[in-house]
Amino acid sequence: MIEIDRLSKHYKQGKTVVRALDGVSFNIDSGEFVAIVGRSGSGKTTLLDSLGLLLRPTSGRIVIDGTDASSLKDDEKARLRSSKIGFIFQEYNLLPTLTALENVMLPLHYASKPKGDREWARALLEEVGLEDRMHHRPDQLSGGQQQRVAIARSLVNRPSLVLGDEPTGAVDSETSAQLAAIMRRMNRRHQVTFVLVTHDLDLAAETDRVIKLKDGKVVADETTAPASVAV
Amino acid sequence: MNQIVRNLVRRKLRSFLTISGIVIGIVALTTMGALANNFNALLDGGAKYIAGYVPVGDASSNGVTGGGVLPLAKQGDIAAVPGVARVFPTIQVAAKPGALQVVSLGLPDYIQSLDPTENNYSALKITYASGHSLDGASGEIVLGSNFAAEFNKKVGDGITLPVKPSDAASDFIQHTYTVVGILDRTQTEPDTGAFVNLADAQQLLKDQLSPALQSTFDATLYVSGFNVYGTPGTNLDTLADRINAQVSGVKAQKPSVLVKALVAGGALFTTITMAAALLALVIGGLAVINTMIMAVSERIREIGLKKAIGATTKAIMGEFMLESSFIGLIGGLVGFGLGFAVTTLINATMPASQGAIFLVTPGLALLCIGFALALGTVAGIIPAFRASRMDPVAALRSN
Repeated sequence: MIEIDRLSKHYKQGKTVVRALDGVSFNIDSGEFVAIVGRSGSGKTTLLDSLGLLLRPTSGRIVIDGTDASSLKDDEKARLRSSKIGFIFQEYNLLPTLTALENVMLPLHYASKPKGDREWARALLEEVGLEDRMHHRPDQLSGGQQQRVAIARSLVNRPSLVLGDEPTGAVDSETSAQLAAIMRRMNRRHQVTFVLVTHDLDLAAETDRVIKLKDGKVVADETTAPASVAV
Repeated sequence: MNQIVRNLVRRKLRSFLTISGIVIGIVALTTMGALANNFNALLDGGAKYIAGYVPVGDASSNGVTGGGVLPLAKQGDIAAVPGVARVFPTIQVAAKPGALQVVSLGLPDYIQSLDPTENNYSALKITYASGHSLDGASGEIVLGSNFAAEFNKKVGDGITLPVKPSDAASDFIQHTYTVVGILDRTQTEPDTGAFVNLADAQQLLKDQLSPALQSTFDATLYVSGFNVYGTPGTNLDTLADRINAQVSGVKAQKPSVLVKALVAGGALFTTITMAAALLALVIGGLAVINTMIMAVSERIREIGLKKAIGATTKAIMGEFMLESSFIGLIGGLVGFGLGFAVTTLINATMPASQGAIFLVTPGLALLCIGFALALGTVAGIIPAFRASRMDPVAALRSN
């Protein structure tokens, strides 16, 4: 479970203070599939970066599975990210020198996981439909395939939370629908919480809950009808 | 490690140029170090040798060089000085009289008197690669290793010495000796020497005089100097002082003065050669810093990603330092390999009289490879620090 309590992030731009997040509070239960929407500058990405412990908030608390991340030092946050959080980025962010399988296994390296987890990495790639692309490098894969590798990578450390920053933002609508279906399936099958920042209304429509931000504040938090997904 | 290799392959030309910078520096360090090693071995052997006895020359000499001849009768006077264990008369003449001494890292060929029993006292023990020591008979000669190689002589062969200069007078005197022994390589003075008994050496001394003087000069009464050995526990510097005080017309040199002069010469040579090589290496190190800074700049998003997926500051720093160290290690291994090949090749082409001028030791190999590794590691510190301190959010969103 994730608790966000009066979270604020303020930036100074010259003499002006920009309130990117302004006292945001909500909880996310384990296994939820959540979209965070809003216009550019609404604070979506700042919220996601804060949830991912990449950004230190100005005030407020983030509690992930009972651990208050607010007071952690940088390396403690890195370890918490390694064990609890997976990331999916708009531009995939795969390492160009590594194969698909090696990219998926990369988080295992930083979590000092045993080599036996290689089979788990292979299984994840099979789950996202890339069993025949495991030894291809990113430049040999399409955008959709690269993002499927990134989805597998986000799950390899068996996190409780996966954060997606516009995960369908760099692909066409058909691929976007496929990626949405894959993420939904992973969410159900592995009981992992997904929080996706998106402009993609079709993707948002696939989620259980949509949180809308405006000017750094939550202006709507709606539960939608759960989609029917084959698990 | 796999990722490091792939990162280097990713920018082939840049990696090649950077590693080449280290390679050039290490080749320089290997060759200069091998040169200094060889020179120091020569000096160390010499220092060990001269530290063990008091050289005595005539009063106008410095005890070792310069001055004229000494009456052999002084041997008894010196032997009577308290603390003297044994006095060996010595004569040394050039094996190639009139030859120009060009710049050389070795010693010129010489012919010297040798009493085989001096080996029992000397700190530098000569041993025989073949044959045996002089047994006192006239006309026998023992050759140092380089001397034998230069003249292509083996035990049983004849050798005519001294070598006659091209512009020698018609009455230039030579003698033919039979080679009875060839010495093992000592890496120092005896390698370029030829050794005859005292009587034969005295004859060579006489041969150097003008015909007019030769008729009146009784060579059996003179020597060039003496090598004086002390009794166990005797301080040789003090013994030199005592000889100077008690025996007139001679100059005994303190061994410590000679050793200091040799060591100082060696240290200066080593400093100059190694400094030149280190300068080359520093330039190589700067190339590594530049490469790693560029690598960090190119991989900003990669660094952001790694931080996002759980890499700690230490892990990121370690990765870049490992890559930088790896560049250093490759440069070190290739550079040492090339340096070793170059020194081996040059040694093989040196004239036999010169012998090897490079001495590559396991210690030098460790120094070269270890230094390249350390250089790579140190060069990686600043770029690795920059990478590890990078803000992950800014890094992930950089272009």
